[in-house]
Amino acid sequence: MSQKQAGGPPGESAGDWCLYQLNGAAELEVSEADIISTVEFNHTGELLATGDKGGRVVIFQREPESKNEPYSQGEYNVYSTFQSHEPEFDYLKSLEIEEKINKIKWLPQQNAAHSLLSTNDKTIKLWKITERDKRPEGYNLKDEEGKLKDLSTVTSLQVPVLKPMDLMVEVTPRRIFANGHTYHVNSISVNSDCETYMSADDLRINLWHLAITDRSFNIVDIKPANMEDLTEVITASEFHPHHCNLFVYSSSKGSLRLCDMRASALCDKHSKLYEEPEDPSNRSFFSEIISSVSDVKFSHSGRYMLTRDYLTVKVWDLNMETKPVETYQVHDYLRSKLCSLYENDCIFDKFECAWNGSDSVIMTGAYNNFFRMFDRNTKRDVTLEASRESSKPRAILKPRRVCVGGKRRKDDISVDSLDFTKKILHTAWHPTENIIAIAATNNLYIFQDKVNSEMH
Amino acid sequence: MEFKLEAHRIVSISLGKIYSARGQRGGLKLHKNLLVSLVLRSARQVYLSEPCCPPEPPAAPRAPPEEPPPPPCAAAAAWAPGEPPPPLPRDEAPRGGPRRPGADCESPRARRCCCGGCCCEAGGGGAAPPLPCCSRKRGAGERGQAGSPVKKPRREAEAPPPPPPGEQEDMETGNVASLISIFGSSFSGLLGKEPPRRRRAPRDGGEAAAPAEAAAAEPGQICCDEPVLRTLNPWSTAIVAF
Repeated sequence: MSQKQAGGPPGESAGDWCLYQLNGAAELEVSEADIISTVEFNHTGELLATGDKGGRVVIFQREPESKNEPYSQGEYNVYSTFQSHEPEFDYLKSLEIEEKINKIKWLPQQNAAHSLLSTNDKTIKLWKITERDKRPEGYNLKDEEGKLKDLSTVTSLQVPVLKPMDLMVEVTPRRIFANGHTYHVNSISVNSDCETYMSADDLRINLWHLAITDRSFNIVDIKPANMEDLTEVITASEFHPHHCNLFVYSSSKGSLRLCDMRASALCDKHSKLYEEPEDPSNRSFFSEIISSVSDVKFSHSGRYMLTRDYLTVKVWDLNMETKPVETYQVHDYLRSKLCSLYENDCIFDKFECAWNGSDSVIMTGAYNNFFRMFDRNTKRDVTLEASRESSKPRAILKPRRVCVGGKRRKDDISVDSLDFTKKILHTAWHPTENIIAIAATNNLYIFQDKVNSEMH
Repeated sequence: MEFKLEAHRIVSISLGKIYSARGQRGGLKLHKNLLVSLVLRSARQVYLSEPCCPPEPPAAPRAPPEEPPPPPCAAAAAWAPGEPPPPLPRDEAPRGGPRRPGADCESPRARRCCCGGCCCEAGGGGAAPPLPCCSRKRGAGERGQAGSPVKKPRREAEAPPPPPPGEQEDMETGNVASLISIFGSSFSGLLGKEPPRRRRAPRDGGEAAAPAEAAAAEPGQICCDEPVLRTLNPWSTAIVAF
């Protein structure tokens, strides 16, 4: 986002975001199965995958820009929809296993096919997505409908030719990585070596080979010998984007641990521990809850990590363990409302965070269908809303403001009017362009920065 | 005072969450329940960190309303809704039983009992003077306290009149069994780790107190160890709440 906006008022955004497209039904009553639970662009940004609570995955593909139809250039259209996970029942424990897709991660593309990993609470699956746009015609022994020909009618030999057909997208499950986790899987991350990936649950992290499903290596285990001594759980984990031996995992206590797989087979001992001492003036009953890290993301450069806890996003320098280099308040006005948020369970909401492609802007969601962007260079931030009312195609999104008493401007919204049922937990940023995907309950919004479509 | 009220409320809410976590689709969410238990522990600690009341005989007049926060024991007692009724007649339910010469704990507690629910949490801020029944209860407590073995649980009359002993016990047992089945081996941190002398009954109160149990060794709280644990019996609160 950009230096072009230098003249703008402080606190107002850089960039003019407008609605690119909106997918999802505007029903009054949303079926729970349609609630989007994860959003992920692939490495080129050509494909965008969403998972929902009903276990379905929908993949959108960006249409190539066409000079003939300028308005439909670069639209994301539905490419494929498939049922990734079904509800299961663990008979031994009498527990139902939810089919909700917790995470989707794309594999780097190595041939014509695309592959992605999707996971629910227990089982990770590798899906291969292939296209078929040609089919052979002119068989000697079969007719056009595939029925065997009467051999007496075959008088000459022909070579079948490939003719174009309507594009058909086929999705097949190539691997199923099951029975690796006792607790709920919260994250998966593909290694930069493109051969392995890791999956993390509350207490353990496993390393898998993409081609091997019947075994995995446990690389982190924080389960105490006596569960009564349990004090923290793993909340998120990710491989370093460039160093295949490094990964980070976050904890419910707000700390990050960087581990080096070369150091030992079991990475219980971290190489680096990133932790910020708590500010005693902010201490409350809920200090522990709000310090729990809900998401961690390496920057594209690999130099920084971004974490999200309930009220802030923080940028950490891998070289500095004592405190983050930047802290941004997402919605500090909620600090005085933690008790109510605890009561209605909102305090347990797990917001994700995202970097833009150049690591200059970070984004995260909030309540009332608001999402926030922070420009690390200009230190400007903006609050935008993903709603049908405020998003007309090609109309620029108006920055929103939450007022906490004091002077109230027109169009400001007061803290007490925020709708806490409308939460933006899942967001994704195109790897190279200023296009963002925002999941608002069952709706997928795609916004584009018209002014700065290239990354700065 | 507000802290205490808030602490009580938070504990009630937390226990409700733990209770309702049972029926959750997808099984127990370890992360969330861990956080809830931490909040429970924080609330308890805040509650107990209020300064202790000066020692006074049970019959002593209660502290004037303006006094600083009621003693921790009272506090602890204050929201100890419904101890599992022992298999004893109610009026013998030793308010006493404090293992220690808990005279200072008696008075506030009794005060609390008699005030019923209305100012139970207030603990004493401007509460009405003890009613006659209070004295009776105190007497029983004293009797009980005189030499009763620690085993007898204290019973509080909580805001809502406690259900008949047997019934309450059933519910609590059921709840305990549920809690045990939920947490089982995987998160027995919430299960009571009680001192041996108190092993007599399912101390579901101990369950919620367990994380606090670990903290029970904190200085300044040992004096209220057992009373606190008892008073942390969450079930009446949870039952009431639900």
